[in-house]
Amino acid sequence: MKQTKFSPSLRKITESKLFFPTLTLALILLFDLITVPNFFSIQIRNGNLYGSLIDIFRNASAVMLLSIGMTLVIATGGVDLSVGAVMAIAASVAALLMNPYVLATELPPHLMKLINDPQFTYQPLWIVIIVTLIVATICGLWNGLLVAYVRIQPMVATLILMIAGRGIAQLITNGVRIQIFYEPYAFIGQGWKILPFSLYLVAFVFVIAWIITRRTAIGLFIESVGINFRSSYFSGIDEKKIKLLAYSFCGLCAGIAGLVASSNIKTSDAYNIGMTLELDAILAVVIGGTVMGIGGRFSLLASLIGAVVIQAITTSMYAIGVQAFALQAIKGLVVIFVILLYSEQVRGFIRKLTVQKEAKP
Amino acid sequence: MKSPEGERIMLRFKTLAYLLIVFSMLLTGCKTATAVPPTATKPPAPTAVPPTDVPLPKTGLACTPNCKYSDLVVGFLQTGSEGGWRAANTASFKETAEQLGLTLKFYDSQNDLAKQVAGFHQFIQDPEVNVIVLAALETTGWEDVLKEAQEAGKIVILEDRRIDAPEDLYVTYIGSDFAEEGRKAAVEMCKLLEGSEKKVVWELVGNVGSSAAKDRGQGFREKMGECGITIAKSQTGNWSITEGKQVTEAWLKETQDVQGIFAQNDEMGLGAIEAIKEAGLKPGEDVKVLSFDATAGAFKAMLAGELSVTVECNPLLAPQVYEAALKAANGGELPKWVPSQEGVFSADDPNLQQIADGRKY
Repeated sequence: MKQTKFSPSLRKITESKLFFPTLTLALILLFDLITVPNFFSIQIRNGNLYGSLIDIFRNASAVMLLSIGMTLVIATGGVDLSVGAVMAIAASVAALLMNPYVLATELPPHLMKLINDPQFTYQPLWIVIIVTLIVATICGLWNGLLVAYVRIQPMVATLILMIAGRGIAQLITNGVRIQIFYEPYAFIGQGWKILPFSLYLVAFVFVIAWIITRRTAIGLFIESVGINFRSSYFSGIDEKKIKLLAYSFCGLCAGIAGLVASSNIKTSDAYNIGMTLELDAILAVVIGGTVMGIGGRFSLLASLIGAVVIQAITTSMYAIGVQAFALQAIKGLVVIFVILLYSEQVRGFIRKLTVQKEAKP
Repeated sequence: MKSPEGERIMLRFKTLAYLLIVFSMLLTGCKTATAVPPTATKPPAPTAVPPTDVPLPKTGLACTPNCKYSDLVVGFLQTGSEGGWRAANTASFKETAEQLGLTLKFYDSQNDLAKQVAGFHQFIQDPEVNVIVLAALETTGWEDVLKEAQEAGKIVILEDRRIDAPEDLYVTYIGSDFAEEGRKAAVEMCKLLEGSEKKVVWELVGNVGSSAAKDRGQGFREKMGECGITIAKSQTGNWSITEGKQVTEAWLKETQDVQGIFAQNDEMGLGAIEAIKEAGLKPGEDVKVLSFDATAGAFKAMLAGELSVTVECNPLLAPQVYEAALKAANGGELPKWVPSQEGVFSADDPNLQQIADGRKY
């Protein structure tokens, strides 16, 4: 306790959940600054910002959205492996609502024309979005029911939907990859208002999640359920409902991510959309310092930074020109390095460093 | 980029799956060995048919040598669903079977080798099936299953994907010559960049290690020197729109000195087009995009003038496969490789709209 007296400021920074993710991101960007020319140049095109940094944030938006929901789930001591599959379901539902005619084998010509029409949509956009998000939330609810009420281990419970979900997504579109021509829908993933529209979406979801967890007691409940669900139960917290809420919210986030991903490529690619993104989302949360398997304390902002770190690694690899066959291995090396930063040894070292520095004067 | 926890689970599942395969192989292997003594029931057959120099796989069909299409029962092991090409391939098999009046038993391996091997065994033991068509998920490890099929008197034809197995274990391989496609692509790229002073091309590679990716790249490189094309950048886009877009996007931030993009499938090409448009360049004018497969999406992009050329990789292989099967059933000889019939489509073809309308995929 004596030490903290000497070093309140620096100590506070290094102990913060945001410190390590931010440090990692800074290291990656520093590396880019040295090796890649023009990496930080940002231009203004048609009134919008344009540059590698913006790309990193924009391409990270799907994982950022997933990581917000995933943080709450992991904080309750669980995990959701199905978010990638839920993204695929959301993309399929949205594509089908906009253009169900694509599935027909024979069409009269007046309907055939509608298929490629960029102004045609079967249901208005707001219905498309709301129905899609409801479906995604139901997927999350299903996970929550299995985990909280049926008491299946989270990893197994969500594995069911991870495997089945992609199949369901393909069933919805009859195994066809639907191209989306409706222009307004493309705005979700491709639109710009100074910054990419998807980033505003991320900010919106983040603020909502932040208000729910930090301005009400729900955040505290989630943490206590993660730390010890039995004692939370005995102290009057309905841990089942809290878990149900966390998983449903995670499903909702996956639904929004599915909308962003499918509108970004203008297809409902049930087979590829969100593939392995559940692992990226988990990694983002872990980089953000929320402990997997135990749960408890969490930081939404740290998870967001974690998601950006992952995308920054990928984009840097492309910019540096890493050989295609070495890509995965090098990504793995970077991740190991990042995770090592979190080890007790490094933490202890940094703690010592800050204490000494502050103690000198 | 994967979480250690998730990966461990996947690993466990994989080991479990492999154990299951080995186990099922042992079981079924034993069964066939005891139940069906290899062709011992037909001793007079060799004397009836004069022995040829090339040892033909014994067909064991009752109708030989006067088989008709209606006598054939074809078991088709598809890889799974990936996209437009695969869907068209499957549709071709189903439609042509109906037209010719032969019976098709379709098996979807869902991109899972364990399932594919299980399906193969199922067909070997099915007394009705006399022809097995395989679109293999892996290139190696098929010897034992193929031997079993031969002993059971099934005609095995490989389609689309070549495998590493002794040639006498299967009747023929019907599929594309990816290297030839790559060479055609280089010739087309030369035409596209004829007037251009600089001929810098970026390459979007498919899944690293797949035969299509390897051979298309190699074929392109063989011919590109003839008109002075250089490949400045090369990276994998894993056959997907999303990654094709991300990679191109990252490169365009660094430099816009590029005249052509050589995308190893249509999806990655479409992704590159999106990135080029966002960078404020005009695909088809500033940057010529060339891709492979000639899917419906590619035709739409060509009609919009954004994609310059697509090299066909014909998925409608069924007529050739069934013809080969009938020939083999009647004891005919077949070359070990029948190349599929393929073309090249270009955006400045005046009949493009007609061609697009007349195409099935």
